[in-house]
Amino acid sequence: MTPSPIPIIQMANITKTFPNGVVANDDISLTVWEGTVHAVIGENGAGKSTLMHILYGRYQPDRGRIRLRGEDVRIESPAQAISLGLGMVSQHTTLIPALSVLDNIILGNEYAAFGILNRAGAARRIETLAKQLGVELPLHARTETLSVAAMQKAEIMKALYRGAKMLILDEPTATLAPQEADALFRLLASLKSSGTTILFITHKLREVMQHTDAVTVLRGGRAVGERITRETYPEELLALMLGQRTAGPSVPLSEEAAASAPYAGIYRETEPPETPPSPVHPLPWERGPQSEMLGRPPQSEFAPETSAALPSASAAVPLLEIRELLVLNRRRSPAVQDFHLQVSAGEIVGIAGVDGSGQKQLAEAVVGLSPIERGQVLLDGAVLNGLSVERRLQMGISYIPEDRHREGLILDFTIAENLLLGRQRDRRFGGGWILDLKRLAQLGDRVVQEYRIRAGGGDTVAGTLSGGNQQKVVIARAMEGHPRLVIAMQPTRGLDVGATEYVYDTFRDARTKGVSILLFSLDLDEIFALSDRIAVMYNGRLAGVLPRAQATMEEVGRLMVNG
Amino acid sequence: MRSLRFTLGSLTLAFMLAALIILATGGSPITVFSALFKGAFGNLYAFGYSLIVYRHYEPPIEIFRTLNRATPLLLCGLAVAVGLRAGLFNIGAEGQLLVGALAAAWVGYAFKGIPALLHIPLAMLAGAVAGGVWGYIPGLLKAWRGAHEVIITIMMNYVAIRLTQYLVNHPLKDPNTLNTATPFIQPSAQLWVIEKSSVFSIGFFIAILLAAGYAFLMRRMSLGFCIRAVGQGAEAARSAGIPVARTLIITMCLSGALAGIGGAIEILGLYHRFYDQFSSGVGFDSIAVALLGGLNAPGIVLSAVLFGGLNTGAEQMQIETGTPLQIAGVIQAIVILLFGARYLKRRA
Repeated sequence: MTPSPIPIIQMANITKTFPNGVVANDDISLTVWEGTVHAVIGENGAGKSTLMHILYGRYQPDRGRIRLRGEDVRIESPAQAISLGLGMVSQHTTLIPALSVLDNIILGNEYAAFGILNRAGAARRIETLAKQLGVELPLHARTETLSVAAMQKAEIMKALYRGAKMLILDEPTATLAPQEADALFRLLASLKSSGTTILFITHKLREVMQHTDAVTVLRGGRAVGERITRETYPEELLALMLGQRTAGPSVPLSEEAAASAPYAGIYRETEPPETPPSPVHPLPWERGPQSEMLGRPPQSEFAPETSAALPSASAAVPLLEIRELLVLNRRRSPAVQDFHLQVSAGEIVGIAGVDGSGQKQLAEAVVGLSPIERGQVLLDGAVLNGLSVERRLQMGISYIPEDRHREGLILDFTIAENLLLGRQRDRRFGGGWILDLKRLAQLGDRVVQEYRIRAGGGDTVAGTLSGGNQQKVVIARAMEGHPRLVIAMQPTRGLDVGATEYVYDTFRDARTKGVSILLFSLDLDEIFALSDRIAVMYNGRLAGVLPRAQATMEEVGRLMVNG
Repeated sequence: MRSLRFTLGSLTLAFMLAALIILATGGSPITVFSALFKGAFGNLYAFGYSLIVYRHYEPPIEIFRTLNRATPLLLCGLAVAVGLRAGLFNIGAEGQLLVGALAAAWVGYAFKGIPALLHIPLAMLAGAVAGGVWGYIPGLLKAWRGAHEVIITIMMNYVAIRLTQYLVNHPLKDPNTLNTATPFIQPSAQLWVIEKSSVFSIGFFIAILLAAGYAFLMRRMSLGFCIRAVGQGAEAARSAGIPVARTLIITMCLSGALAGIGGAIEILGLYHRFYDQFSSGVGFDSIAVALLGGLNAPGIVLSAVLFGGLNTGAEQMQIETGTPLQIAGVIQAIVILLFGARYLKRRA
């Protein structure tokens, strides 16, 4: 890799606030060098897509400058971005399904003479281009008959046909099978060798390590680090993404090397290593799990609880047992495979893993929202396969979904009505053929008081509550009616410290009452603060299970990235 | 409250635009509208006067005609409303009404010698089942395959129109008449008549009863709760354990059954036989009835009576003032446009 030392794309101090008040990009700067493959990584909501859409002219930044090849530009529309040599391949295809691949590629940039379309000429040009890159595309096939991978190739060809020298790809491998992803990276490599600069979004660290020259890490709308790929390692990137403090790259650049490198000055927040380099990577989580800054109790305070829960953990029949589970995603490739886990009564098992490691499909398979392809899920020895969500709820499995607006609550319903969801036939909730509205109203008022929901009463409409109070309604629904197992997906996402603490207390209370909790979280602090055991998912498989007492953040982190 | 303001506002706007059209064609809106009103509700002044002064209770016949028109509108309006509550746009009330009407007519004439107390419910049930089946098919396709209910119900309308046309022209045709119609139903299947000259029967009250049932279903029953949950947040309902597919299917059956009962009452109460093309788009007008009524029972009753009144009044208006009947259609169309636009905007 010998990139010429010219920054082809420079984005400086980009800030973008959406009308709903979300600060998607907060003073982000990004430098991409000509002829390199550059990754932008970060968790969901870190601001990656927004930044790319700003570069492509779909959004206008509130503040900040963009330079292409050293010249200041204002990119006001995708059309302008295209004329400046940018091309973008979105996560979702923008091709028209009913048109042929050829027509899609030339659409908007037709090759015509005197208003007569010269399809043959265009096809020849595209074929030459494709041959150079080693791409095979059925130009005359209807686009809807293509696989996702082939559509993506068509999108890339479309951008190149319009003269793109800088290609932006938004999570290009999110919908690809592993072999397809490998083929894509081969294509990107040949594009790179022909001089195209590639900028792509991902949250898969393996791809970053294997296929990129440099990487920018975003977290919470800010750029928290820029690294040369061969001088960093997955653990460091993960630490940056998740917000752990890091000791810096394992092999520090010498002063001269840093100064003479074409990337001079792109380092940010990189502190000099505090420990001398050792043959083993200095691992980023020296600090341990306690995070006083969030005001959580120190470890010793919940250690007794952990040991109190342990006797039941060794009971004969586990409350939940997952055996050789196989769950497919929407594209029918495995999202969870060979997964097995046992959860005892009164135990909190934390499921750690990089986002998109199959957590959602695992949770949905236990709750009953995703079909189980192979294997079994058992509650107290009874097979759950094929049972409805409602039936499993009656058996004691309740669910705290990840997205409280879309999956958790019906915003136009009152708090009481939201509590009744799924319990519409449960007498204790005022359910049944004919509803007991009085009992439901009482339940709503009691829950508002007990869970300290800031609302006038149970008849308050859920959409008028703040995020934290909405989440309390979701949690109250899962906790009421004596569940035996609670599946919690990111239960504190987007909550402030007080609300987070409240959720933790609720979970700890439930545990002392013998309720088991399967806690899915991307926040390792959260996993360590609550779990009795920690299971790590990697690529849909179980990478390991560690008792809380023996687990260290570094070990969990290693399992998260390496499996 | 906002919804009530919108309702009154759009009605006012509709009448104002109609007034402009009348003015533009050289008529007087006041004369036309008073003729329209008199045609719809009769001379209410004379009625009130005789009621108070002479204690003589004889409501104007126009009211009965209006309520006759309102009955199928009310039932089909409820049918559309049930669907909309679950987020389903049932455009198929017309077809469901037709098959319900024909099924009720067949039970009405083919079954002989059974008491009215049995015959009437049986014929109504036949109408409900036939309409329900006509709703079940799009419901099933929607729940299983995601086929859009609007497309399927529109197609089911054509199937219903042609199927009933065929049946009433051939297998079920009364051989003793030149009309394309079934034989007359047995007297035991006829709904009890309250006012003879307008053939006003208990059908209207059955519809009111079903409107009350609709309100009870939505407010008090778990099925209604599921319907509302699916309509307002299908994803949240599914995650929480509400059987979304089953709810969609049941909703469409219920919707079709209500429209089918509407058709049955037309036959058992008013026409006493199934004429080919006896219904002129009641199922379509009912979409406006449901939207104008704000999807709640009292609102739907009121808007059904209003639309019924527009229909009967327009005939009187045409005779008295020479203003074409279609001016009532203009008013209806404007209401449909305004409400349709608002509904689509809300969904998007």
